[in-house]
Amino acid sequence: MESVILRRDIRQRIDAIGEADILVGIPSFNNEKTIGHVVQAVQAGLHKYFPDCRAVLVNSDGGSRDRTREVVEQTTIDNFQSILLAHRVKSFHKIVTPYHGIPGKGSAFRTIFEIAAALGAKACAVVDSDLRSITPEWMDLLIRPVLEGGFDYVAPYYLRHKYDGTITNMIVYPLTTTLYGKRIRQPIGGDFGFSGKLASFYLEKDVWETDVARYGIDIWMTTTAIANGFNICQSFLGAKIHDAKDPGADLSAMLHQVCSSVFTLMDEYQEMWKGVRDIEDVTTFGFRYAVGLEPVNVNIDAMIEKFSLGVRELGVVWDAFLPRGVLWFLDSASGNGREKFVFPDDIWVEIIYSFALAYHEKVMHHEHIIRSLTPLYIGKVAAFVIETWEMSSEEVEERLEKLCRTFMDFKEYIIERWE
Amino acid sequence: MNPFIERYFLEPGREFFQKLLQFLPNLFSFLIIIAVGIIIANILRLLCVRFLKIVQFDRGCERVGVDQMLKKGGLRDMPSHLTGRVVYWILISIFLIMALNSLRVPSVEQLMTRFLLYLPNVFVAVFVAVMGYLVGNFLGRAALIAAVNAGIPFSRPIGQAVKAGIFVLALTIAMEQLGIGRSTITVAFAILFGGVVLALAIAFGLGGRDMARDYLERRLSGPAEKKENGDDISHI
Repeated sequence: MESVILRRDIRQRIDAIGEADILVGIPSFNNEKTIGHVVQAVQAGLHKYFPDCRAVLVNSDGGSRDRTREVVEQTTIDNFQSILLAHRVKSFHKIVTPYHGIPGKGSAFRTIFEIAAALGAKACAVVDSDLRSITPEWMDLLIRPVLEGGFDYVAPYYLRHKYDGTITNMIVYPLTTTLYGKRIRQPIGGDFGFSGKLASFYLEKDVWETDVARYGIDIWMTTTAIANGFNICQSFLGAKIHDAKDPGADLSAMLHQVCSSVFTLMDEYQEMWKGVRDIEDVTTFGFRYAVGLEPVNVNIDAMIEKFSLGVRELGVVWDAFLPRGVLWFLDSASGNGREKFVFPDDIWVEIIYSFALAYHEKVMHHEHIIRSLTPLYIGKVAAFVIETWEMSSEEVEERLEKLCRTFMDFKEYIIERWE
Repeated sequence: MNPFIERYFLEPGREFFQKLLQFLPNLFSFLIIIAVGIIIANILRLLCVRFLKIVQFDRGCERVGVDQMLKKGGLRDMPSHLTGRVVYWILISIFLIMALNSLRVPSVEQLMTRFLLYLPNVFVAVFVAVMGYLVGNFLGRAALIAAVNAGIPFSRPIGQAVKAGIFVLALTIAMEQLGIGRSTITVAFAILFGGVVLALAIAFGLGGRDMARDYLERRLSGPAEKKENGDDISHI
């Protein structure tokens, strides 16, 4: 892929700006409705919390067909006093550029990293362009730990509904925590802070023609930072409310994107995670508070039906890599209605580890392996919803910590079988 | 000597002996080529098996389903050994052809020429059939998983139909390549395939009218209708 800083217009813009202390990147694709709010929040945050820093906002766009880029260029805060801010002293610049290469969030981030490296930015942050709940404080929480705390990577910590982000809760959070030994609650949150040093480190990695460029950039950034010994923390950002997702978005495609990234990284950092036996808390910044969250409707019967259908039909696929005991359990569970439906953590952990092993050993095409996980994942979520229906958010968090401990208890299982 | 004996016995005998003397070197070279061929074929078979073991060919075959296919066909040998044997017999065939050519017998030469011209068709047919089996397996499994994830109740027959359809198509191409019942097979396949498509069209047309209408209504009336299913879970 052609480097964006080799482009003449961008080079001229970078030369004109010279250097920057802070760079905030916003990847976008057809986000004209929401990106204006994000740009304003970023600008207000930089004015309020970093008035003495030279800041640059980079919009890395994936070829939007709406007015996304115009909105970014035109959006500004006209009256700073209305939001109780004095005029800033140092400069604030915007660079709006399309990214090149493989379409995806990863390529957009690469462009942001390149511009950050060219400007010599000390601290950077990236935020999603469809955020509705972003506030100026997010800039402080994502950037200050880097600028003043000596951290290299700031992961987000949001308040979410107990049934929001179930792939994160059931797979990514417990697996990443167990493998790499750092309790990062939202490893694929999407909004991060990082140092200029880490941005340059990311750029050196030869992943920009792989799936990381398309998707999986979030987990790749988090895992790369942990596995390479960078100083990690997380910041409490409050609620995460974003634009309504495409209702037609395919669950098995999402599962494939996330799990293939996690499993691929397991291959790359196998020597590191095999030696981890304890989980450490990481420093958490921000003032924790409760927020009202929108209710989430769940159709448990439909989920159990999908699980049962998968068990009836996909046994021929799972025979190749799931242990006999697990297959026996799935057969027996598929006949149960919601009253008796349970999905024990140890079975779930054995399933996830078996899928990771099958992916590692290339038992069959990786897409077939991961997409066949969909009915099992739906079954686990259904059982989780039944179990936690009456629980408060705090109790659900404790329940997820119990799941993490089961992942850790079974870690020897995967280490022994990993060649 | 009696002219009768000279003409009817000694002269043919001398001619036969002369021809035998002329033929003997050819026969000798035939035997040498065969012997050398057997030695070279054996060495290359062993080298081939060893190389395939080093590159973990057996494991690769297990992953893509070739191992399973061989077992279903009653072949218990490991794929590397089987490939070694195929290499051995190909080399033996080549040396046999060279040896037979060295005999310089016109009828054998003609037969060999026709055989050699036909041989590529056999290779292409085998290749097409094997590829058809592998692609059929792959797409059959993909269709099965996609159907299950889409919530289609009887997904396994869909996967099996995709797998069988591709394999039958590949076999038809292979048979056509071999020139076996060329027109019969093509016509039979066209009738079978056309029949299946027509049957499916009628079945879906008559049986799925309501489903199609519901689907279109849901699609056209927008996401508000999704609430009926009551699932708002955001997975990521």
